[in-house]
Amino acid sequence: MDYGIEDKEQETLVRLRGRLTFNDHAKLRALIREMLQNKARRQVLDLSTLEFVDSAGIGMLLIAREEMANADKQLVLRSAAGQVKRVLTVAQLNKIVTIED
Amino acid sequence: MNNLPEVPGLDTARVLVVDDNRVNRHLLQALLERGGVTRIEMAEDGNDALARLDSFRPDLILLDLMMPNLDGFEMCRRLRALPAWKDLPVLVQSSLNRAEDRAKAFAAGATDYVTKPINAVELLARVRIHLQNRALLHDLQRFHERTESELSLARKMQERLMPSPERLAEVEAAAGVGIAAHFAPSSELGGDFWDLRHDAAEPGQGQDQGQGRTMLYMVDFSGHGVGAALNTFRLHAICQQMDMSGLTPAEFLSIVNRRLCALLPNGQFATMLAGVVEPAENRFVYASAGSTRPMVWGPGDAEPLLGDSAGLPLGLLASAEYEERSLPLPPGGRLFLYSDGAIEIPVGGDVLDEPGLAALVTERLEEADGARFLDGLLERLRAIGPIDDDLTALLLTRKG
Repeated sequence: MDYGIEDKEQETLVRLRGRLTFNDHAKLRALIREMLQNKARRQVLDLSTLEFVDSAGIGMLLIAREEMANADKQLVLRSAAGQVKRVLTVAQLNKIVTIED
Repeated sequence: MNNLPEVPGLDTARVLVVDDNRVNRHLLQALLERGGVTRIEMAEDGNDALARLDSFRPDLILLDLMMPNLDGFEMCRRLRALPAWKDLPVLVQSSLNRAEDRAKAFAAGATDYVTKPINAVELLARVRIHLQNRALLHDLQRFHERTESELSLARKMQERLMPSPERLAEVEAAAGVGIAAHFAPSSELGGDFWDLRHDAAEPGQGQDQGQGRTMLYMVDFSGHGVGAALNTFRLHAICQQMDMSGLTPAEFLSIVNRRLCALLPNGQFATMLAGVVEPAENRFVYASAGSTRPMVWGPGDAEPLLGDSAGLPLGLLASAEYEERSLPLPPGGRLFLYSDGAIEIPVGGDVLDEPGLAALVTERLEEADGARFLDGLLERLRAIGPIDDDLTALLLTRKG
């Protein structure tokens, strides 16, 4: 997985690319640190170019959600497609994290 | 020489000096002793050296090349052919100084090479390096062996979390079902787990000729490896001490969820499916916490029917409620449960997913033997692509 960060006026937009799995633990930790340092309250993860997420990947997104909440920020998962969208839907993660199309 | 860094264990290291020249042997001995090596043995040729290996058990050999009877090249070759000595450092010390001689010595299995006349400082420095490397390698091997034996023990413990053949046979007989199961962690340990519990019908309450009720469940903890495996032990303990009689699958999931919420750190969760075979209604009644979609089919069906499995995974939100769902399961009907390892196999740019797996199931609906059904399906899955997650699969057949 890699990512690109774009600072917008109201939000920070992070675009995730590739596959998010157990192996990306260190990378996602680094991303969470960057997101915490950003000023914007809304931290949006754009998942449109994320091809695959496994259960460990979902776990890391949930860690990101909690770390944002602890820092009074909001995590938004946006534009998931394909397998990623199916996984988010079957796990009903919209009940605990903001998911936008 | 005394300002070289301390090499741990140098005083207990054993060095075998192999040289046909007595003066050379004693020169090397004196040199080694000055460097702090105290356990030294001498051999006069290759045969003599090989004969001393098992009694002296050297940590390093200082080897001359040109010797009568068995020369250094041939001795080195024979040494390396013995599994016990394939890693032993062999430091060649020889007056042969052409590049071809060095190449020939290394080809025979030498570790290092110094030319005579011996430079005392250099030789001793090399001896220390090789002894140090050997000690580190030894530590690493010991650590590796210990980890391996611990993991293999843990693996056996984990396998025992699942029903033994005896207990399974009991439940199968009592519940009128046949069960075939496959459990394959991606490493020694995994985050998958399944179990079942049969409660005899209470007198007077008699569900379907007193057959009682069987709760079947399959769990998949996030991640895999040791961490996920420890969570399967937690869950097993929770389920063991629970009175499930009278609980609906949805109530069962809610209770397990609340218990797990208190235990699991942020970022860890489990997907789970729990269900009950209701013989009187010919249905499988279940609830799902984000598990894979259960598949059922009856005798004569052309393809499996996929049930809905949406639901919040366990351990994320204590107040989560689970929906009760059901699928038809007539006599002779089958229920197929599997962990997500079976549907996350890469296919082209996407993954196999549930419809892809259902198509593979369709290919073998005719297979009457449950174990052969699973074996054939898993073989087919492995042929499609690498499975890098735990894979658990379970096939329940209702006796006709």
